[in-house]
Amino acid sequence: MLIEIKSLFKSYDMGDVVVPVLFDINLQIRKNEYLAIMGPSGSGKSTLMNILGCLDTPTEGQYFLNKTDVSSLDDNALSAMRNKEIGFIFQNFNLLPRLNALQNVELPLVYAGVKNAERRERALMALERVGLSDRILHKSSEMSGGQRQRVAIARALVSKPGILLADEPTGALDSKTGEEIMRLFDELNKDGNTIILITHEQEIANYAHRTIFIKDGLIHSDNLNQKKILNFN
Amino acid sequence: MQYEENIRLAIRGLIDHKFRSFLTMLGIIFGVASVITMLSIGEGAKRAAIAKYQDLGVNNIIIREKKLSDDELEEVRAKFSQGLSIQDATVIKEIVPGVLRIASQAEISTEVKYTDKSAKSTIIGITPEYVEMLNFKTAKGDFITKDHYNRNLKVCVLGAGVAANLFRNEDPIGKMVKVEDQWLEVVGVLKSKTLFTETVGELAARDLNTDIYVPLSTFLKRFTHENILASEIQQITVQVDNSNRLVETSQLINAILLRHHFNNIDYNIVIPYELLKQEEKEKEIYNFLLGAIAAISLLVGGIGIMNIMLATVMERTREIGIRRAIGARKSDIMSQFVTEAVAISITGGIIGVILGVSLSLTVSLFTDVSTYIRLYSIFIAFGFSVLVGICFGYLPAKNAANLKPVDSIRYE
Repeated sequence: MLIEIKSLFKSYDMGDVVVPVLFDINLQIRKNEYLAIMGPSGSGKSTLMNILGCLDTPTEGQYFLNKTDVSSLDDNALSAMRNKEIGFIFQNFNLLPRLNALQNVELPLVYAGVKNAERRERALMALERVGLSDRILHKSSEMSGGQRQRVAIARALVSKPGILLADEPTGALDSKTGEEIMRLFDELNKDGNTIILITHEQEIANYAHRTIFIKDGLIHSDNLNQKKILNFN
Repeated sequence: MQYEENIRLAIRGLIDHKFRSFLTMLGIIFGVASVITMLSIGEGAKRAAIAKYQDLGVNNIIIREKKLSDDELEEVRAKFSQGLSIQDATVIKEIVPGVLRIASQAEISTEVKYTDKSAKSTIIGITPEYVEMLNFKTAKGDFITKDHYNRNLKVCVLGAGVAANLFRNEDPIGKMVKVEDQWLEVVGVLKSKTLFTETVGELAARDLNTDIYVPLSTFLKRFTHENILASEIQQITVQVDNSNRLVETSQLINAILLRHHFNNIDYNIVIPYELLKQEEKEKEIYNFLLGAIAAISLLVGGIGIMNIMLATVMERTREIGIRRAIGARKSDIMSQFVTEAVAISITGGIIGVILGVSLSLTVSLFTDVSTYIRLYSIFIAFGFSVLVGICFGYLPAKNAANLKPVDSIRYE
């Protein structure tokens, strides 16, 4: 089991008020699964994503990633987790504007302490995988939205993470480019990657094999997408 | 290898925002430049002072006759004092402990002639000990020897200025010059000496290069003072074995002279070494002030850096959030921003060093103020600029590192 979440609660302490966001979340995710987490704004899906991505820790309960109890990790250990096990993909790409594509993709490896030559090789491979070998020296200002998202995906892939965590990956793209990106995710899933998609759009969630519906901090449903699974192979 | 990345990033940041970076480092540039310039001015002054006193002899006590008007002279003679005499010198040599050597000299101011040229000069009759006690180096020929002295020979040694005036390109050695009604043979020419342009204690300012030296014995025989009341000799130079004993020895000498001169104080005792120490002490306050100014400007420079770094961190909140999400630890973020701060301060330091050195050279070329740049001052100033970068970059860097990734990523 790649991910196990047991009786997870999360609330924010805002001074005099304590705001509860997630209640008694129980979740299991296997390797190579492709799942979507859906819900309206305020449902807690972003909070759940932050916890899954080791950007935040639960108030109560446990989160096991690859058998490690993430909830008990300190800041440095969490950073290492993010570096090696999580590949983030954001709605607005979040590339560093002063670096070119290659340097952006290399960045996780820089923090991992990987040496120059190996770093470069792995980054080039990741860029090739997303189909951007001819744009490696361009800065993000010199690229289209679709290309930027591909760079972001390459960056997420480069450290061979346990999970790819995509937060509304097509939110800033037109529908045609969005489709291209979703097709890329399909390929990556076929390659063996575990993908967790966060979205509020049904059309995007339909690309995944399993959909978890969350509302008001609780999981309302957790269903397999039969059509997708049948069509996939 | 993260250091490489940090450095590369820091330099890129500097170049991308040239104008802003320059404004930020102005304080450092000025601070470093002023440290170097002020240290070099201080060092130059120190060396000039030492050189000035070197010529008078560091371990020497100089007893000089007081310049008195004719009336005062009459009065003093009436009270039995004959002024400085060779006997004074002899007694001092015998009685006072720690005296290595003693030299007497007599002087008159007159003209010296060679063929059709003449020059104003001071003729100084000296004893052979003189040359060992003071730094007299001959450019040509020899100085007055014991032999010259013992045989009362009519020889002379010219100061560099006189020789140049009278002889131009000729070799003065062996030629005859006329002083008053005496002919003297030139046996040596002195090297040029530090121009004595200020008064040291009671020793009046003079240009030592216009002096001519003759044996004292010859002087006493052949020359007479214009004034009948003048004393036999004008100066006694006493060389003491230990600079720690200078004050003590001078007090003893004073006691002896008072007795010999029947309590007439018609002489001055000057201790160049003590005067030098006093001058240095007075300069200390001045140096301290200069140092304070330099320190304050470095501080201001550091605050400028901190300000800009704080603003920079805010500007780049999102970037910091992204880096943290990708796996940067707090320490990674800290080292990135401290490196940036140090890059600014080092660059400012380098420019400041160049500016400081140029300023020092300019000052010494175009003004009377002498400067001397010592290597250590460059290292100190530079080292401080690095330190300022680290210290004032620390707080902004810590702020950056403590930003919560979850929030910073969404920062607009």
